[in-house]
Amino acid sequence: MKSGLIRALIVGASCTVTLVSTTAAQRIDSTRYDGQALRYESYWGSARIIRGADGPLVGTAGWFRSFDVEKLVASSAPARAEARVYKSNSFRASVVGTIGATAAVVGVALSANNSNNASTPILIIGGLGAVAWGAQHLHIAFSALSRSLWWYNRDLARPQLAPLPTPVPVPARETEQGKRNKDSE
Amino acid sequence: MSRLTPVLFGAQLLIMGANAMAAQESGYDENALRVESRQGNLQILRGIEGTVVARAGIFHPPRLANLVIQSDSALAEAKIFERDYEPGQWIAALGIATLGAAIGASRITDINPVIQVSLYATSFGALGYGGNRLHSAYGALSKAIWWYNRDLKR
Repeated sequence: MKSGLIRALIVGASCTVTLVSTTAAQRIDSTRYDGQALRYESYWGSARIIRGADGPLVGTAGWFRSFDVEKLVASSAPARAEARVYKSNSFRASVVGTIGATAAVVGVALSANNSNNASTPILIIGGLGAVAWGAQHLHIAFSALSRSLWWYNRDLARPQLAPLPTPVPVPARETEQGKRNKDSE
Repeated sequence: MSRLTPVLFGAQLLIMGANAMAAQESGYDENALRVESRQGNLQILRGIEGTVVARAGIFHPPRLANLVIQSDSALAEAKIFERDYEPGQWIAALGIATLGAAIGASRITDINPVIQVSLYATSFGALGYGGNRLHSAYGALSKAIWWYNRDLKR
């Protein structure tokens, strides 16, 4: 009788401990996400990286900015890979877009000054083409940044949530979506 | 055997707890949203596989509110996004068109300068206002997805 009571108490205690620890882990996870999860807002060709819904501005990336997204998301391997895709495409977009815009503006200025010659249409058309190419790469860069932050936010809670690690398809360089984006260039 | 009962029961509860946490994580893997842009078109993708669940058309926002309806905070932001996206695009497009007209008008020698100034003022005003509405829309989109993904982890 006495041993039955003790057994019932042990079972009850283990049940309580398990439920409390599960709830606590979920709360820690949620708090961790609230305090650390990142998002970005595009702002005139740049990306403002913000922590939390209304949290602090962590940095502004893109358009000749030196903010290191790869370092920011270093704790997650897939996020790092996507950050590298973002960095390379953002740099190309900045350089080619700026050159294209300059050429187009020069072409329009020459044309407006009635100094039309063979170079003005080349400058305008070539410049607009370069701007379009730069815009396309900017879209690829932002998509990679979005994936990078998605992976980073996903992996935020892993230390608490993964007592038994599950296999995750970690892209060597980028996800399938990133490859498709690249193929479409 | 009777001594093993509480041990087995405790182990079962621990496994249940671990399964609950793993399910929570797989909820994020399968359902968390993100935004990508393809050929200039806004798309909303779900999960690791990147299934496209909504895309913006020409002057039409993706139906974000339907996607994030489970989260109240996300839904509030989604409504701001849907409110600002379409007018923002229309007004910005109007600004670009008016700028084109202003540049064209500047090449006409005998045009009234008031018309030129009005066209430039309208175009810059429309670009600024439309850009502002779009900025508000994109900010709300970012927040809506953040809140939705956050509530997936709860």
